[in-house]
Amino acid sequence: MTPSANRGLSRRAFVRTAVAIGGAPALDACIERWGAPDAARPPDGGQSLPERQFAWDESVATDEAGNHLGPRHRVLLYLDYAREGEPTDADRERTEAALGSLERAYEWSNDGLLFTVSYSPAYFERFGADLPESVELPEPEALSSFEDPALDRPDAVVHLASDHGEAVLAAEEALMGDRESLGDVEMQASLADAFERVDRRTGFIGDGLPADNQDVAGIPDSEPVPEDAPLYMGFKSGFRKNQASEDRVAIESGPFADGTTQQISQIRLRLDDWYGEQDHDERVGEMFCPFHAEEGLVEETGEELGDSSRVEECPEDLDATAREHGRIGHAQKNATVREDGSPIILRRDFNSTDGDEAGVHFLSLQRSIADFVKTREAMNGTEQTRNLEIRQRVNNGILEYTFVKRRGNYLLPPRSRRALPTPRSG
Amino acid sequence: MTDDTGTDDGPIDRRATMRRRAFLAFGSGLAAGTALSGAVGGASTRDRPNRQETTTGNETAGPQRTTVEDRPEGVYVQPFLESMSMQGTAEVGDYAVALLYTVPHVFWTVTGSDRSRQPLSPDASAHVMAQVWDPETDTVLPEAGLSIEITRDGELVSEEVIYPMLSQRMGFHYGGNFTLDGDGTYGVRVSVGGLQIPRTGAFEGRFGEPASAELELTFTEATRSEIRIREIDQAGERGALRPMEMEALPLGRAPALEELPGSVVGTAESGDARFAVSRVPADEAGRFTDGEPYLLASARTPYNDLVLPMMGVEAAVTRDGETAFEGRLERTLDPEAGYHYGAAVPGLAAGDTVALSVSTPPQVARHQGYETAFLDMPEMELTV
Repeated sequence: MTPSANRGLSRRAFVRTAVAIGGAPALDACIERWGAPDAARPPDGGQSLPERQFAWDESVATDEAGNHLGPRHRVLLYLDYAREGEPTDADRERTEAALGSLERAYEWSNDGLLFTVSYSPAYFERFGADLPESVELPEPEALSSFEDPALDRPDAVVHLASDHGEAVLAAEEALMGDRESLGDVEMQASLADAFERVDRRTGFIGDGLPADNQDVAGIPDSEPVPEDAPLYMGFKSGFRKNQASEDRVAIESGPFADGTTQQISQIRLRLDDWYGEQDHDERVGEMFCPFHAEEGLVEETGEELGDSSRVEECPEDLDATAREHGRIGHAQKNATVREDGSPIILRRDFNSTDGDEAGVHFLSLQRSIADFVKTREAMNGTEQTRNLEIRQRVNNGILEYTFVKRRGNYLLPPRSRRALPTPRSG
Repeated sequence: MTDDTGTDDGPIDRRATMRRRAFLAFGSGLAAGTALSGAVGGASTRDRPNRQETTTGNETAGPQRTTVEDRPEGVYVQPFLESMSMQGTAEVGDYAVALLYTVPHVFWTVTGSDRSRQPLSPDASAHVMAQVWDPETDTVLPEAGLSIEITRDGELVSEEVIYPMLSQRMGFHYGGNFTLDGDGTYGVRVSVGGLQIPRTGAFEGRFGEPASAELELTFTEATRSEIRIREIDQAGERGALRPMEMEALPLGRAPALEELPGSVVGTAESGDARFAVSRVPADEAGRFTDGEPYLLASARTPYNDLVLPMMGVEAAVTRDGETAFEGRLERTLDPEAGYHYGAAVPGLAAGDTVALSVSTPPQVARHQGYETAFLDMPEMELTV
């Protein structure tokens, strides 16, 4: 299958569709129209790469306010290790060689390719030893009294990210052994001998992409997503001051120091009522907090907020907001778990049209999964349901419009241990 | 399966007329079926025999658009009577779940004291309803956030959080209008959210976990023909239709006064709601309190004693001219008292005065006949 050849389709929509479809024909269709991927190559003499695989902030674009902009195109490869028992050294070497080839082919940036490799609790079960105490990596679980997600248990997840959809596609093809070189860089190995691809999830983030791709289930036919919104729900997120720093989410000691934990929830969006029953102020009230609506802080997508969602200006007393406004805000709830004024998770989420449904792959990084759990519990607003107007999922932030379908937890090791790591040193 | 409690079929010609009207907008078939019974309960007409359908009036069956001009403040007889198509039941986790549908419905949501009429989309195919109850005691469970996912051949058709609702025929239930993708059989996943309110007695530790039931909804001429609608000539009068009785479908009724725990000290009315107030002495209140007496208020609709949940109820107890207690009565679910509002009140005894106030009216969406009731709720006073 290839993306539609409709001449009217913009390049960004075409490339986004190609990423969603995947495979060699999709990539070929892009190359046929616009030539070889023009993603940035590494500088001559090679590039020095951070030990933290997730150290992206220094290498991504920023907006005028200094917010880090997530790479626009994404693929998540869900992989199972091909053998029973502990991984072999040969597989470890192949894996490292394949990943190293990507680094020789692309600049480590949004203009080239950023990627991470992570491993699930299920992967580590194959070893006789447990993970060290410095790593907290439980099995995924339901985290509210109303969600019942399927639990993902692949062995590994590779996250590919670039502003060039073609680069993401080509990297995937090369990793899976369907492409022998990237530009003039030959793949030293592929993951195909060591892993089986069991799922692939795709998506995008950034101005214009959601509006271009709103003809999917979950978004009303009126095409309500603003043209310049970076996400389907119509607002900016990931303001610099509302993200944990990479330091805050890094594991500090032990064999996985400079690693982190990664949580990925697949969330279905149902925005008929979000856009159909609510006006802008009501949406602002539920996404940020009623204070923002009252003060008119968010004119359109929240661009004018600068580098902060200004959530600290929302009342800390959620019950008072509930009593006064009959609803509480999503950001307002999450702000209750800040530490020294900052959140404890680092969002790297993006939107998706997988399954022809509007969705979010909510990918977050945090020092321990417990930090995510704490944040998610705050988002549940359970205590506030003491207020009659605040129900389990209604008038309670954005819970009415988001349906968590799948969740997985992973350890994202430091770069030097990213190839089929053992739970202990070595 | 239809609601088949009725035996008051009129003459054939009249039935045919009714059927034609019933299917004008909702279907076209004239499949065999049982016509409806219905009864109107009113202060003076509560036990009168079932009435037959009228054959006059506007020909507006199907999507329920019939309205009442000059509707009274307070509970009034809804202008139509319809039956449901039962699609199936399932037990999952701590819950029993039933799935039903009927014609698309007008209803009103309530946030705080504000009532908001939900527009009836011309595309709406059906009013899809779910009932959730405890299979051991048949207690209907309010406050379990519900969502419904509808698929067809594995493809997503819809998924929505649905409304807690109150209607004269169903009592408390969950529902919403949905647009389906034509005739056929749909997969329906009903997701039940765990309760966040206190549970007492044998309910302690139950109903806290989510669970999902997989059911099917067959939307065809055959199932639509199970749905009968007729107009009610007492529409708009004070009163209420008698609730539907359907096998395998418990109804959310508040317990009879004599079945409430403790001793009932009286009843009071506010905004057309009835409150039965009971004092549970300390030695019988072990499951509710830490050694103190328990003040219990059981709220229900007039005429049919349907449970009125999701209300903010506060009490002030005065003893010898002094305030002995002031505070919120917690929404609580108990096997014997059912869904009620209660608090430990130290020393609660005969002679105490209880002022009950409603800080937030029932936050349930209202079907017709209930939308003007239970909103403006003045303070009540009783003496223990």
